[in-house]
Amino acid sequence: MKASAVIALAALIAALLALATPANALERNFAGSAQLDYQLVPTARNVKTFPQAFDGFTMELAGKLAVDFSDHVSANLKVCYGCHGFEADMMYFDVRVADELNFRVGRFSPSFGAFNLRHDPANHRLSDKPLPYDMGRMLRMRQWNLSVLPSPFPDNGIEINGTKSIGESAQLDYAVYGVTGFKADLRPTDINFQLSRSPQNYYTDNNGRPTVGARVALTYKLGDASDVTAGMSGMGGTYDPENHETYFIGGADLALRLDKTNIRIEYLARRTSFDVSDRAVFKYNVAGERGNFSVKHGAYAEIEQGLTPELDLVARVDGMARLGNVEAGSELSRNASVVRYTLGTAYAIERGLRVKLSTELWQFSDRDLASGRKLELTMHAALAGSF
Amino acid sequence: MIRATMLLVFAVAGTASCGSRTEGLDTSKIPDELRTDYQVFSTKCSKCHSLARPLTANISDYDQWVRYVNRMRRQPGSGISYDDQAHILRFLKWYAADLRQKAEEKRNPSKTAPSASIPPPVVGHIPEPALGQDGGT
Repeated sequence: MKASAVIALAALIAALLALATPANALERNFAGSAQLDYQLVPTARNVKTFPQAFDGFTMELAGKLAVDFSDHVSANLKVCYGCHGFEADMMYFDVRVADELNFRVGRFSPSFGAFNLRHDPANHRLSDKPLPYDMGRMLRMRQWNLSVLPSPFPDNGIEINGTKSIGESAQLDYAVYGVTGFKADLRPTDINFQLSRSPQNYYTDNNGRPTVGARVALTYKLGDASDVTAGMSGMGGTYDPENHETYFIGGADLALRLDKTNIRIEYLARRTSFDVSDRAVFKYNVAGERGNFSVKHGAYAEIEQGLTPELDLVARVDGMARLGNVEAGSELSRNASVVRYTLGTAYAIERGLRVKLSTELWQFSDRDLASGRKLELTMHAALAGSF
Repeated sequence: MIRATMLLVFAVAGTASCGSRTEGLDTSKIPDELRTDYQVFSTKCSKCHSLARPLTANISDYDQWVRYVNRMRRQPGSGISYDDQAHILRFLKWYAADLRQKAEEKRNPSKTAPSASIPPPVVGHIPEPALGQDGGT
């Protein structure tokens, strides 16, 4: 049975369950967030010499509605507005049998990694996301074809997840899922992230074969205000219409909370095979063996320290490395890397409203062809609010 | 130069015009008996989102909080144990009553509503009340 049929069946069951409950049983919660960010790239003399950055203002808005139909069935709808217009970030039903067993069907970001839970700009203290999850604010984003896994990554499918409390000190979470997966056109050289979230070819699977994945995480309570979470995630599937090319993303994460200090470390890597039938499209000779894939590694480590009830300080080091052949016109080498150093603050000026300021130093392995630079500097000022 | 100035103005104006206010509550206004409960609430409920989210949700119905906190407890990596949940809900029961009291005072400024009473401590798992019942207080 195709994934779309499973989803339709599950959605129908959820809808019938919802209709079976009296109307006055509905309970709704509405939440929202917004962030206006201004990114300054002082190393860019003018826009024409540095076209590959979203410098200037960017706006992100989101509104979320959660509806409880009954004690076991709920729905979540989240619509967001960002650099590429309106997007349905969530529209799913949860049918919960028990804490340990929940069926999620519809459109949602499948469980992967630790950061995605905090991807809303109101939920993280810096203006932008860690590089492995960047969705467009990174410099040279076109050269890099974005990050390892641009977050959020809403997709259509079904997920079975659950949580199990182990005594008073531990919590085990798991998730397994099947979703449409990322897309590209025929004979691709990489995933096409724009096509993956574009209605251009309809919001349907381009190859009829779901991407599958899983996550498991353990949280252990260290003290009244301290805990540690360790998790592992993986997803894989095909992304071209002919099901010839594959991708696999694996990751591990560790988050330590010690009172007002948060330390987060995460690593992920994506192995993506590509079509080599036309060797002329590549910059380097295609190797006879193991020449048909690239691996993109990404990692970040950050420390977030609450200095006062109003002020947080954040320091982050993140980076990516891409190994493998590139297209002939690419400015990347076959071993390209970028490391970014960030120092920022978040200051609460009112309950639910923060000013975020940060400075980032970028260190690329390859020179930019227009400017000849390897080092770049960016500065952010943002206002983020939630309700 | 214009862009750098814009960045600076944007940052300074945002900070200076509004002064400062903590994301949480002024603990001096919380009854002594509930300080520990508030501490658990402020620690656990700011792990994935800002503390402003629950504090500005304007939920004044305790049963709704019970369902909400149970939902948050089930979030991956929440780190909210049953014991933590009991502390969080004890604080939120008082906070919900305080919200209702303030709303009543706003409706009838001439009448002074009684202060929110301090809920007794609860131990262990607090089950979710069924939907459709009259909201508890």
